[in-house]
Amino acid sequence: MNRLIEKLFREGVPDAGAIDAFMRNNRFPLVEPGQVTFVFRGQADEVHLRRWISGFNTSLPMQALEGTDLWALTMELPGKSRFEYKFEVVRGGDRSLELDALNEVQAHDPFGANSVCQGFGYKRPRWTLQDPDTRCGTLTPLEVDSEAFAGRRDVQVYLPARFRSNRRYPLLVVHDGPDYLRYADFKIVLDNLIHRLEIPAMIVALTQSPDRLVEYTGDPRHARFIAEELLPVLSEKFPLLDNSGSRGLMGASLGGVASLHTASMYPDLFGQLLLQSGSFAFSDLGQHQKGPIFDPVVRFMNAYRKKPFVLAEKVYLSCGIYESLIYENRSLVPVLQAQGMRINFEEARDAHNWENWRDRLRNGLTWLFPGPLWMVYE
Amino acid sequence: MALKILLGPQSPTANLRQAVDSIDAEGPVVVITAGWRDSEGEIEELREDIGRPVEDLMLYQRAEEIFAREPDLLEMKRERQDQLRELQGLYRIRLSPTIAAVRRLMRTRADPKLLLLEQRAAIAQLRALDRHHLRRIMAIHREFDLRRAGIHIPLATAQRDALHRQVEKAGLVLIAGGHVAVLLNRIRLFRLRELLAQKPVIAWSAGAMALSDRIVLFHQKAPQGKSDAEVLDAGLGIVRHRVLLPHARTRLDWNNRRRLALFSRRFAPANCCTLDNGSMIRLQDNRVVSATGSSVLTRTGRSKVLAKQ
Repeated sequence: MNRLIEKLFREGVPDAGAIDAFMRNNRFPLVEPGQVTFVFRGQADEVHLRRWISGFNTSLPMQALEGTDLWALTMELPGKSRFEYKFEVVRGGDRSLELDALNEVQAHDPFGANSVCQGFGYKRPRWTLQDPDTRCGTLTPLEVDSEAFAGRRDVQVYLPARFRSNRRYPLLVVHDGPDYLRYADFKIVLDNLIHRLEIPAMIVALTQSPDRLVEYTGDPRHARFIAEELLPVLSEKFPLLDNSGSRGLMGASLGGVASLHTASMYPDLFGQLLLQSGSFAFSDLGQHQKGPIFDPVVRFMNAYRKKPFVLAEKVYLSCGIYESLIYENRSLVPVLQAQGMRINFEEARDAHNWENWRDRLRNGLTWLFPGPLWMVYE
Repeated sequence: MALKILLGPQSPTANLRQAVDSIDAEGPVVVITAGWRDSEGEIEELREDIGRPVEDLMLYQRAEEIFAREPDLLEMKRERQDQLRELQGLYRIRLSPTIAAVRRLMRTRADPKLLLLEQRAAIAQLRALDRHHLRRIMAIHREFDLRRAGIHIPLATAQRDALHRQVEKAGLVLIAGGHVAVLLNRIRLFRLRELLAQKPVIAWSAGAMALSDRIVLFHQKAPQGKSDAEVLDAGLGIVRHRVLLPHARTRLDWNNRRRLALFSRRFAPANCCTLDNGSMIRLQDNRVVSATGSSVLTRTGRSKVLAKQ
């Protein structure tokens, strides 16, 4: 048990005033080197910690602290780790998932919010935070008529601060772009890294799909849309550098699959790939167990793994070690490397979430698109 | 050749005023801030620092104006930049394994009689690659200059003549740091090399690099990406046989002597001179007449204080 809780109970069951003071004077969860203690306060029949860590029992019972309305659980956690969790509270037979009311750190995604546990030593990177000295780029809406999808697609285009039409810029096409903006502070990251000269001023096309479970799973229509419809429109409207090394594709989860699949259908068109926690499901033996949504992904990945070829010049992959996809990602690395592509694979003590992807952006972007910091000596 | 003073970065403390006061300049002071690109001309702070009137030559803006009005020249410049960028990429493909081989040989334990010659041969290959790259770059510049000479651009000629008159009248030229390639290209575009060679010049950071005969890009602690030093271009060649290293304190990996030793041996016989905040090197006819706060990398990866020659 945590030493602060031990101290609270040292002289017997604490009264309400002592518990109030304990709650007031500490930040929760209680983080120490190598471990973390979760605390829940309230009336309940049972409380469980539900943590989003692959490979572990996701539901851990919390211990009721006798004579109080406190519940606690101490678990091992390596330094600088991060994972998301909720409390599963049982009252009168009803179960509900609740955010940790004592922890203001939350992560958001399209499905809602989770509380975030940050292990000892974790600090949110400064370059993910708004910097008043940073010059900001702009977002411009763009409509693209798509024959592939028989309809119009909305794209947002990021133009860097001090954009000039007589310059030429690298291009990055991002899958799930609006989610990257909302949940991974992508615009702030771009603004900061460009301002610090760590990446070049670049144009970023933020795409989105109304049906990503189909279109991002190895759908040739999507690859055609990106390569034959979106890219020509962007090239016509914006001053882009015209070589594959200055063009990149990026995505997380199924967005990573969509990026890899597009690159495989149009090899050498995009020289840079940034793939985060890609859902690169494959089956070497028998049927996969991931459900029918993954059928086309597995078909694509199995085919690629059987006959791999060069897709791009450089590929940056990242994956959390607390997510099941670490297996698929680790398996892909040697396949890509064997083709002679330059690969940078980063593992993080994190899981399948937007903040993991946010925290890896600097390493990925600066490796794929090194900025003029190299050229600038003030 | 007139006095040249090389300084390190002017932040957090500036020693430009001290350098300016040490020169008895007859005539106005002009400054080149093209390396600041879009911020060119924002010299209020600089004026206050040195306490006298300064005029910015506005090379960057003048070039932008010419490119905006002369699409053919802009296209030519873009072609050259594309070629240079591509060539730099090809150089990197060869550079990376060449340096890796040298590093491996420097780590390897073997019979010293055998190893020493292999190490020397590997470093010679690296130096040969750098020389080859520089020759290729110069060939691209020569081709551009030839094509450029074939086109009469009245605006460019007028701008160049106006600039030359301004520099001729100046008693002192300052060259600020910033983007070293942009700065160098603008100075080249307006053919200022000969005039700068004749004038007293104070140059800092990228400005100092531009005066040297070889521009070496380096950052051993970059967030990601490149970490092997690269030859980018030939400089103006006004300061010779020196590789100038602004921000050396923060950009070089001082805990890795083997790496610094390789850096020094790769560019020898040129001296690799650090230029940090507070550094000042005074050169007369390319000889150091005084130096403060600057050191030279040695063959063993140590640094020794840069001394008067």
